[in-house]
Amino acid sequence: MTNASIDDLIDDLAGELEPVCPRRVARGSLWVAGGWLVGAALLLWFVGPRHDLADGAMMPPLPLLAFWLIVALGLSAAWSALRMGLPGVGRDYSGWRWAGLAALALPFSALVMALSDGHAALEAAHPENGMHCLAQGVFAGLGVGAALFAWLKGGAPTSPSRAGWVVGIAAGAAGATIVALHCAANDMMHIALWHGLAVALSGVVGRVLLAPLLRW
Amino acid sequence: MSIDEPSLARLMAASQRGDRAAYRALLGDSGKWLARYFARRIAPHQIDDLVQDTLVSVHRKLATWDNSRPFLPWLAAIARYRWIDMLRRQRDEVELGEGDAAVGAEDEVVHARLSLGRMLTLLPAGQAQVITLVKIEGASIAEASKICGQSESLVKVNIHRGLKKLAQLIESE
Repeated sequence: MTNASIDDLIDDLAGELEPVCPRRVARGSLWVAGGWLVGAALLLWFVGPRHDLADGAMMPPLPLLAFWLIVALGLSAAWSALRMGLPGVGRDYSGWRWAGLAALALPFSALVMALSDGHAALEAAHPENGMHCLAQGVFAGLGVGAALFAWLKGGAPTSPSRAGWVVGIAAGAAGATIVALHCAANDMMHIALWHGLAVALSGVVGRVLLAPLLRW
Repeated sequence: MSIDEPSLARLMAASQRGDRAAYRALLGDSGKWLARYFARRIAPHQIDDLVQDTLVSVHRKLATWDNSRPFLPWLAAIARYRWIDMLRRQRDEVELGEGDAAVGAEDEVVHARLSLGRMLTLLPAGQAQVITLVKIEGASIAEASKICGQSESLVKVNIHRGLKKLAQLIESE
């Protein structure tokens, strides 16, 4: 291949040029917010909000703390995923990892509680008591997952495998926050295991299914 | 030639608005910058192909440059992605048993050694040796097997693992 062929290519590309609208993270954020609202509206329409919230009461402190930890993880992961669509050497996309580390307080707390009350832990771990939360969490996060996937598909993520993980984690965390508005369980073991599993499972699905589709 | 950040950023902003003359100038300058960027990273006979691939990617991803940010880090990110993609394709060729094509002229060996030298020091010795023999010096899998005393299948495995690790090292840079 020669410089002449590069010049020919440049002529072809210049001939095809049309004006483009630069992509803005703010616009992507609106897509993500829309995805969360669609997921929340669908899930709460199907299964309804938790009864205490519907009656105007507040969540108890520990579930509320878990809720905000998962919100922080979802927001930071979604923000990282949005920034991954606009590449640049030297840009840092790892902010979500700190929120992820903070969110690990949930499974660690649950583990400590499980060690002190094995019977309650076995009860909480029974699939009958939590599988529906896992399924609902993954389902409710699909809106955010689809929004981020569409954003990155039109963008230029330079590490598709990392982008797949982060999209999955953001979607799972979004789903877990929506499930928290429906699920009335105040047991930390239940929240850490089944709501947390929705985040982990979505992350794995994102890595396995989305990463190959994000190559360009 | 105007390969400096402010000029390139101005040309890119005009290109996003559809200015074809600015775009032609931008791609020309970018092509020269890319040739220098890749010259330190791959064998010389692969540079033109990779420059062309990268220019096509620049064209396809034009909207992903944010005009409030500098242009060259964006171009470098696109270039690095294409480079990693090429390494992955080479790794896949090894898996398919097609990775033993000869490289060519003597001086290319020196250039390729310079380009990958630092990265290869970060790999286990066995992987670095077979990548040097097959991917840079152009030895066949069978020849590399004889020279380094590894079985042919181990040579392929080491090339595969080494290229995978190289891609990860470059991604994390």
